[in-house]
Amino acid sequence: MDILANFSQGLLVVLQPENLMYCFIGVFLGTFIGVLPGIGSMAAIAMILPITFYLDPTPALVMIAGVFYGAEYGGSTASILLNVPGTPAASITAIEGHQLAKKGRAGVALFSTATASFGGGIIGMVVIALLSPFLAKLALSFAPADYFAVILLGLIAASAVSNGGALKGIAMVITGLMLGTIGIDLTTGVTRFTMGVPELRDGIHIVIVAMGLFGVGEVIASIRATRSGTATQTVDYSDFYPSKKEWKSLFAPILRGGAIGSFIGALPGTGQTIAAALAYAVEKRVSPQRKDFGTGVVPGVAVPEAANNSATQTAFIPTLTLGVPGSPPMAIVIGALMIYGITPGPRLLTEQPDMFWGLVASFLVGNIMLLILNVPLIGIWVRLLNIPYKYMYPTIIVLICMGVYSLNNNVFDIWLTLVIGVVGYVMRLFRFEPAPLLLGFVLGPMMEEHLRRTMLLSRGDPMVFVTRPISATLLAITALIIVFALYSTARTHRRALAARLGSSRKEQPNEL
Amino acid sequence: MNYKAQFTGAVMAVAAAMTSTAVLAEPGAWSDEPVRIVVTFPPGGTSDLVARLLAQQLDTGFGQKAVVDNRPGAAGTVAADYVAQQPADGTTLILSNNAPFTISPTRFKSLPYDPIEDFTHVAYIGASAPGLFVQPSSGITTLEAYVAQVKETPMTYGSSGVGSISHILGEAVDAALSVESIHVPYQGSAPAIQDFRAGALDSFYDMVVQNSDMIEDGEAVALAIASPERNPQLPDVPTFREQGYDIVIENWVGLSAPAGLDPALRDKIHETVLAVFAKPEVQAKLTDLGITHVAMSSEDYEALVGELIGVWAPLIEAAGIKE
Repeated sequence: MDILANFSQGLLVVLQPENLMYCFIGVFLGTFIGVLPGIGSMAAIAMILPITFYLDPTPALVMIAGVFYGAEYGGSTASILLNVPGTPAASITAIEGHQLAKKGRAGVALFSTATASFGGGIIGMVVIALLSPFLAKLALSFAPADYFAVILLGLIAASAVSNGGALKGIAMVITGLMLGTIGIDLTTGVTRFTMGVPELRDGIHIVIVAMGLFGVGEVIASIRATRSGTATQTVDYSDFYPSKKEWKSLFAPILRGGAIGSFIGALPGTGQTIAAALAYAVEKRVSPQRKDFGTGVVPGVAVPEAANNSATQTAFIPTLTLGVPGSPPMAIVIGALMIYGITPGPRLLTEQPDMFWGLVASFLVGNIMLLILNVPLIGIWVRLLNIPYKYMYPTIIVLICMGVYSLNNNVFDIWLTLVIGVVGYVMRLFRFEPAPLLLGFVLGPMMEEHLRRTMLLSRGDPMVFVTRPISATLLAITALIIVFALYSTARTHRRALAARLGSSRKEQPNEL
Repeated sequence: MNYKAQFTGAVMAVAAAMTSTAVLAEPGAWSDEPVRIVVTFPPGGTSDLVARLLAQQLDTGFGQKAVVDNRPGAAGTVAADYVAQQPADGTTLILSNNAPFTISPTRFKSLPYDPIEDFTHVAYIGASAPGLFVQPSSGITTLEAYVAQVKETPMTYGSSGVGSISHILGEAVDAALSVESIHVPYQGSAPAIQDFRAGALDSFYDMVVQNSDMIEDGEAVALAIASPERNPQLPDVPTFREQGYDIVIENWVGLSAPAGLDPALRDKIHETVLAVFAKPEVQAKLTDLGITHVAMSSEDYEALVGELIGVWAPLIEAAGIKE
């Protein structure tokens, strides 16, 4: 078994004391940030970014990955105890989780989420190990036209299924695309939209946009929504382990959630939140306990957790094999790899096998660490929720500023981050999701680059997009998504209209 | 009162004497403060590795503490502008290269610094040379066959970006061979080589020594190298010059300081840097990075930078990348 041999090789890499340590730092910091309400994994990345500059690529990647999936573990804690999701994806967990907590069964909910996250993580890891080598082989023959089609698919998918509705999603993607055009045009060398500011000549760094929108924006939003007094729920350790019946009811949801999450996570442009939401919606229809959904059932907390954790891991598939980031955090991973001169793409698996398989094996190690951190040690995290925010948030802002400054040793970048943060906060107030914007910002320039490259290579003939089988297939899927999105928008509109008409009709007799 | 002043003066004199002896005691150190070597690229690239090699050698072999300070951005002009404004006391140096010193003066309408007037160019370190690679399946093995082919149907070539050395070499080759090929810019050579391997590109320009594996594995044919002489590591790759085209384009690195560096200090730094790169093990590391070391006086180096601005100008104009 080739994959097993590779995997055990990766395990040897990750079990080196140095890598183990950075894996632990990653998952620990991830859980820490994830537990804090409103602050997601992006802010955590900014904090550890300066450290990663001094590491070898493998421990750096292992650590960054640990932050991402660690945050998903931690995110559920705040959503269960406070009904305030620690990460966006954990908002789905809050639906059932907080109901369980209200019933005094917070312990069971926390235990179930940790178990489900672990199960989902392992499923995601197996999918990566099986799928990546195959996809990398396929991607070796990818031409720019095929990359263009993949990215277009990702962008359309991201805006069509965004949380705030398709129209706002598309608006944010386009805003991101426009921000992405700032700087030197890669094809002609002409500077665009820099307004004479030399610092903008190379464009805005992805970390700056990400930190502004997510880190700073999230902190401002959290300060405004101060919930001092914090965790009123206490975890009762006598009721920590689920009953035998509940244990059994966990198994199938974890498998289903893990499968849905793995699939959604591997698509470029979709993320953990969508994976969790979709898995919950499916479970609500197929679960034997579907009637009790919404009142606090164990499968209801397990399924989104399994899905978001497996999606967090399979998101590495397009990132590492194609070099196309599936989600904003993955764009940071690519940025970090570029710093080491490693270009993610189909050759990464063969040229950096230790790094790739070390990362895959670190998912197993990291998930075991997280299980220990989040089950026996859950009390620590619960107490963390009692640290006054007046100390927590300024610290986070300072760490973000340090992370941003470390990119180019340039103060201008800090100001830019703060400005973007305020803009991001205002957008949040109007319910515009920052995630599609960031994805447009990252994927837009890549898409433009591949489009123009394709046209150069084909000597200006656009037919290559439909004559190449890979790009033709991907474009067909994209077209289907657009049709589906239009159809479902029209349907909800019609229903809303019908509902309004129906209710007004009912009211009529009364008026008469 | 008077005693006190005298005493203070004496202490200061002793302290000064002690510091200067401390400096003199070290074999090659020129400053008791750590020296910053500013690099125009992010960590990880060839320039960065050269700077780190130099910093480490200065520290261990010559008692001169040195740190690397990466200030990437705007084709190296951010770093150059920064260094130009620092005090010329030998504590801030820049790992100089083509982009901010010989390409940007022609490429950009205005620069915040003058590449000659605002700097003291101290020591030349070495250079690596790019070359032309074609697909083995094309059957082309000589520059003549290439010219014949390109004249018939234009070929596409990948470069590591608009205004990069590989792009400018591509334009120079087109001009010298009087052919017109299609330039496809990439962000760095890795993605260009990936597309070349996937068969999307007909040819590409990149550093030759760095791609010796591809040449040996028969994945690419190197038609010519743009160095003045053949590279000893790849004696089978002919130069453009020996095939009748006078094209010499090299990616050089050197060490420069802000303008007004004291000539004695300049000589001291120059001497130390040459001593570092005279070591065989250091040269071996440079060779691994594809860089051939050449010893050169400070005056010659300064003259070379000035001369190269003139050499690059027509090439940059031909490449159409002037701002």
